[in-house]
Amino acid sequence: MSDYEDSLADVKSGNTPIIPESGVSGFSLAIVIGVLAFLAGIALTGFFAVDAAVSGWSGELTGTITVQVRGMTPEEIRIGADAAEEILRSTEGLSNVTRLPQEEAEALLEPWLGMDNLPDDLPLPVLITADVTPELRADLGSLRQTLVEAVPSASLNDHGAWTDQLVAAASRIRGLAFMAFVLVILASSAVIVFAARAGLAAHRNIVEVLHLVGATDSFIAQQIGNRYLMLGLVGGSVGALAAWLATKFLAVVTGDAGGFLPAFSIDAGTAVWLLSIPILLGGLSTIAARVAVLRALRGEDRYVA
Amino acid sequence: MVTDQNSQAIVTFEDVHLTYDGVREVLRGTDFTLRPGDFRFLTGPSGAGKTSLLKLIYAAHRPTTGRVEVFGNDLLDMPSEEMPKLRRRIGVVFQEFRLLDHLTAFENVALPMRVLGVNPNSYRDDVIELLSWVGLAHRIDAPPTVLSGGEKQRVALARALVSKPDLILADEPTGNVDPVMGEKIMRLLLELNRLGTAIIVATHDLGLVRGLKQNILRLKDGKVTLHGPIPDETPAREPEGAQ
Ligand SMILES: Nc1ncnc2c1ncn2[C@@H]1O[C@H](COP(=O)(O)OP(=O)(O)O)[C@@H](O)[C@H]1O
Ligand SMILES: [Mg+2]
Repeated sequence: MSDYEDSLADVKSGNTPIIPESGVSGFSLAIVIGVLAFLAGIALTGFFAVDAAVSGWSGELTGTITVQVRGMTPEEIRIGADAAEEILRSTEGLSNVTRLPQEEAEALLEPWLGMDNLPDDLPLPVLITADVTPELRADLGSLRQTLVEAVPSASLNDHGAWTDQLVAAASRIRGLAFMAFVLVILASSAVIVFAARAGLAAHRNIVEVLHLVGATDSFIAQQIGNRYLMLGLVGGSVGALAAWLATKFLAVVTGDAGGFLPAFSIDAGTAVWLLSIPILLGGLSTIAARVAVLRALRGEDRYVA
Repeated sequence: MVTDQNSQAIVTFEDVHLTYDGVREVLRGTDFTLRPGDFRFLTGPSGAGKTSLLKLIYAAHRPTTGRVEVFGNDLLDMPSEEMPKLRRRIGVVFQEFRLLDHLTAFENVALPMRVLGVNPNSYRDDVIELLSWVGLAHRIDAPPTVLSGGEKQRVALARALVSKPDLILADEPTGNVDPVMGEKIMRLLLELNRLGTAIIVATHDLGLVRGLKQNILRLKDGKVTLHGPIPDETPAREPEGAQ
């Protein structure tokens, strides 16, 4: 048996990456990418949490209106309240019109005036609540006018000013969170561009040999770019997982906020979105590295030593 | 299409000057032509500029002035995208080997095929056969860092041949091997030449040149002159330039 046949059987080599690992995509770079992925994950979860909260608030706080009827005497108030209730019941878009029982109104005052200290003729205002459709809520002007014309002492409150401000503020936060996400992703691409250029410089001699044996620039860019695919995938996964655990922890800690605000929670949908981070980082890293290398090679003298 | 003598040439040098760092004039008006099937020894003492001349051919240097044409491309106004195509037609045995230390002997030899992006199975056997032929069957998985100078030289030779190039440039290809291996390598190059490959072997070793009955490009004082084979009985010294 010849040497040749012997060796055919057991060649082990063949697939060593043409650009070696060192200097191109080290451990420290993986950590940087992991941290950036974590920040991107936090920003993304923030975005979805605020988004969910906004729709929660809009639903919970804007679904009702309250009409308050005041007056000098209980009798005057009762007549006004009857008239107002009548108008509300006959208005398209309102349902569930409920007058707050007198006892409840009194109960509300108890802490201040003490039990049984309420004089019978105290002119307590009457509160009437009703559920409102979104269409009507958007334009309460004519209802408010009809009401005030019929019952001058009535005032209509739709909680709108407060909710609008809350929603507006939350929307701004949501916008900021998304911007932070985009910026962090862009920052990681920039990091990769720097690393790829440094890697190219560190492997000058290899790149020269590759050129001399007929490699195209895009082949070399591909070899270097491939080094960053795994980096982006692994760094991105670790970072995104850490972000998921961190927000999960936050959700548990702040889960019971006294029922005042709708729950700040991480749903399955957000978790799926977090999965996009490693994929996004892997893809962007590969592309960023390739483009960086291609541009660097294109800009240099073709004649190598 | 009219094919005059010039358009058939593989390599044409016209009044080529090469000056390093603006002061060191290595080539001073070099003219020569290489045609398909030509075999040339490129001789001259160390420092004469043999390596520099070969570098001009495989476009690692550009001439300071003059014209270098390779496979019909004027190297000075050739678009850089064309460069890989040109280099794939040239197999170079570099004087300093230029092997990649993180790859094995097998992978180094396979490199010119790998950059083509073809299926590894299509060249795997060729690579192993070449390595076996140069006596390195037992070193297939060894990195250059553990190979001797002679072994590295043979890996470099195998890499230059693997893509079956139209032109082989061998820079002192026997400088680090024993005489028996040296002769074996020369016989292989002559056989490849007989099959049609154009070859330039740069060497300062006239012992190698003698007896092989091949034409000689003699590089002296920055100029090249063409000579016939050195007769066997000539003593081992530089042939005199054409008077
Ligand atoms: N890249 C370079 N920069 C400056 N000088 C060089 C360079 N390469 C070679 N030289 C000089 O040019 C001369 C010719 O070198 P070289 O072409 O290697 O000759 P040879 O191969 O015939 O020994 C030498 O004096 C050498 O020092
Ligand atoms: Mg030399």
